[in-house]
Amino acid sequence: MTEDAEDEMVAKISDLVDGLLTGAERDEVTAKVQTDEAWKRVHEDILETRKHLSDLRRKAPAPEAFTKNVTETIHQRSRGGFFARRTLGDRVPFGVLLIVALVALAVVGYLMWSSQTGSLKVDQKKPADRPSISVPTP
Amino acid sequence: MNEHERSLLRRLRDHDERAFRELIEAHRDRVYNITFRMLGNRAEAEDIAQEVFITVFKTIDTFREESKFSTWLYRVAVNHCKNRIKYLARRHDRDRDELDETTTSSGVNGTIGGPMPVSPHAAIESAQTEKLLQDAIASLDEEQRTVVVLRDVEDLSIEEIRDITGLPDGTIKSRLHRARLVLRKRLQRHVGEHE
Repeated sequence: MTEDAEDEMVAKISDLVDGLLTGAERDEVTAKVQTDEAWKRVHEDILETRKHLSDLRRKAPAPEAFTKNVTETIHQRSRGGFFARRTLGDRVPFGVLLIVALVALAVVGYLMWSSQTGSLKVDQKKPADRPSISVPTP
Repeated sequence: MNEHERSLLRRLRDHDERAFRELIEAHRDRVYNITFRMLGNRAEAEDIAQEVFITVFKTIDTFREESKFSTWLYRVAVNHCKNRIKYLARRHDRDRDELDETTTSSGVNGTIGGPMPVSPHAAIESAQTEKLLQDAIASLDEEQRTVVVLRDVEDLSIEEIRDITGLPDGTIKSRLHRARLVLRKRLQRHVGEHE
């Protein structure tokens, strides 16, 4: 068998094993696997290889102290500042905070200005309306 | 994404340490296995798996919930592994025969993970097969290695692999075929040597 033919056979059998073939193509490959020795052997080899590979999944669990090591690394790198609820400034964008602050300032300013006793109240009487003060001459 | 996962994500975004621990506990073995099978070295794998979680914690705000969280996590893991492989290649540090005493002993004694082999002979054979497969995986190029680890070791679907790698289905399949061809030949050679 040429290398190209073998490549193609492995590709088709791989697709069959992965459940990617449908209809006539699946039937054709299945039939070849059942009747042709070379196809049958490759099919068995691929199934066996896949089985060995899937066994690898159970053989390398993370080390016992993994979780502790990760959290310790984060603590070290952030100097303890990473975990904990974040401050308002971390969670709300600065622009939003600035707008809220400016609106609040404007409201307070308006209240102070509009109040009868507000310290920002400006005396709007014209100078002509004010009573004149006569200064006695000597 | 279920309600528990959403709630966990909310807590992660608030930098809740318990949520981080919960997340690590849920995914540590899978992430570590991916990094170990991709890199073939336990110490490297542990370092990179740690970096994966640290990256996830740092960038959790960028996860837009358009895919499964695990898909995003595995994408981070695969990208870290690829970067590491490139870095190691640049340093000509190709020493990957640390399917080390720990692995061998875990295979032989069954102390870490996996079912206890039925006999010493079976145990040795199991450890040898693991070493052989790990070496064979290491001999694949980085792209073939990625798809074969995700598909045949981790049993992810082609769709999930597409979401993780961003590769078209056809490319994934052809890399998978080639990888299986190489692995099959390696195993055959091994069987031939022992018959």
